[in-house]
Amino acid sequence: MSECIVITSGKGGVGKTTTSANLGVSLARLGHRVVVMDADIGLRNLDVIMGLENRIVYDLVHVIEGECRLKQALIRDKRLDNLYLLPAAQTRDKNCVTPDQMRDLVAQLKEEFDYVLVDCPAGIEQGFRNSVAGADRAIIVTTPEVSAIRDADRIIGLVEAAELPEPTLVINRFRQKMVDRGDMLDKADILEILAIPLVGIVPDHEEIIVSANRGIPVAYDDESVVGEAYRRVARRLTGEPEVPFIAEQPTGFWSNIKRWMGMSPARGAV
Amino acid sequence: MHQIIRRIFGTQGSKNDAKSRLKLLLVHDAVDLTPAEMEAMKAEVIEVMSKYIALDRGEVEFKLERNEGEIALVSNVPVRRVTARAG
Ligand SMILES: Nc1ncnc2c1ncn2[C@@H]1O[C@H](COP(=O)(O)OP(=O)(O)OP(=O)(O)O)[C@@H](O)[C@H]1O
Ligand SMILES: [Mg+2]
Repeated sequence: MSECIVITSGKGGVGKTTTSANLGVSLARLGHRVVVMDADIGLRNLDVIMGLENRIVYDLVHVIEGECRLKQALIRDKRLDNLYLLPAAQTRDKNCVTPDQMRDLVAQLKEEFDYVLVDCPAGIEQGFRNSVAGADRAIIVTTPEVSAIRDADRIIGLVEAAELPEPTLVINRFRQKMVDRGDMLDKADILEILAIPLVGIVPDHEEIIVSANRGIPVAYDDESVVGEAYRRVARRLTGEPEVPFIAEQPTGFWSNIKRWMGMSPARGAV
Repeated sequence: MHQIIRRIFGTQGSKNDAKSRLKLLLVHDAVDLTPAEMEAMKAEVIEVMSKYIALDRGEVEFKLERNEGEIALVSNVPVRRVTARAG
């Protein structure tokens, strides 16, 4: 049975596109047939993050407007032959597509793929409504910051209003060292506030920038911690909900002392 | 001593500010009530209550709280003494 998952956040720049690309790669590496759709019409990025920008001929708007067939617009990944990208149009705007058209498009994609991932644009307007239109469920991406969490809360309400099931959460740009010294909201703080199930914690890491420079998502790299964080999100989504979270085990000197003194609960692989 | 331990272990880091600000922000977002409207409501409620009980106006607390998604208006009204009521 295929499923469409929208990756959204409200606030811009928190990691929706990075998450879409890496989750796409991770799900494909598990053997699923996956398409990642860039719904950020006018500001496409997913092609660049996946290193496929030179192969674009047609885009999502061409398909919707009947200028090409769906198959012509789908771009196969360089490394995985079960991973495809449906790019956004760069020179149009979000209002040239309607939620009904998106719903139809997603329905067509679901005939071919196990997972349709939709990279939602920032904001709560037309681009958001289009992105959730065909979705079966939503993943909310946030960072451990006040503004991002506030917007995530707003988006959770809008996802519920769109009659999707309870969304799940990915906490991106997590820094254990800052958490250890009390300068970053921890997993428990964020979950207490947003009160939705967690499916991933992704560390803040320079590997993301290197991989964006190269156009090779980190999830390909078996040595990468960030890549591993994304691969675990994919496993949690596909029937292994108990996979432990990485980047959670405090490693610093003080946190070891703290744990030893019983001041902070040992948060191991749970 | 306790203070020093807290400082060393960073339990007073900026994350506590983040958390308390967020909680306040989210309840205000959810009920769509500005701080000024809250103040106005508080003043009116105090006005009504003071018809029946003697209270320290300055001490009255009024806040929106959120727990696991549920929002409640929590108020703490220190009463000095009950005024003599007719009947
Ligand atoms: N885990 C991370 N570690 C370090 N940098 C990151 C991480 N995640 C994202 N970034 C950086 O943050 C920036 C924004 O990421 P991304 O484009 O994925 O966000 P977005 O939510 O899709 O943004 P937009 O709202 O503009 O579409 C990028 O420069 C990316 O390299
Ligand atoms: Mg993006």
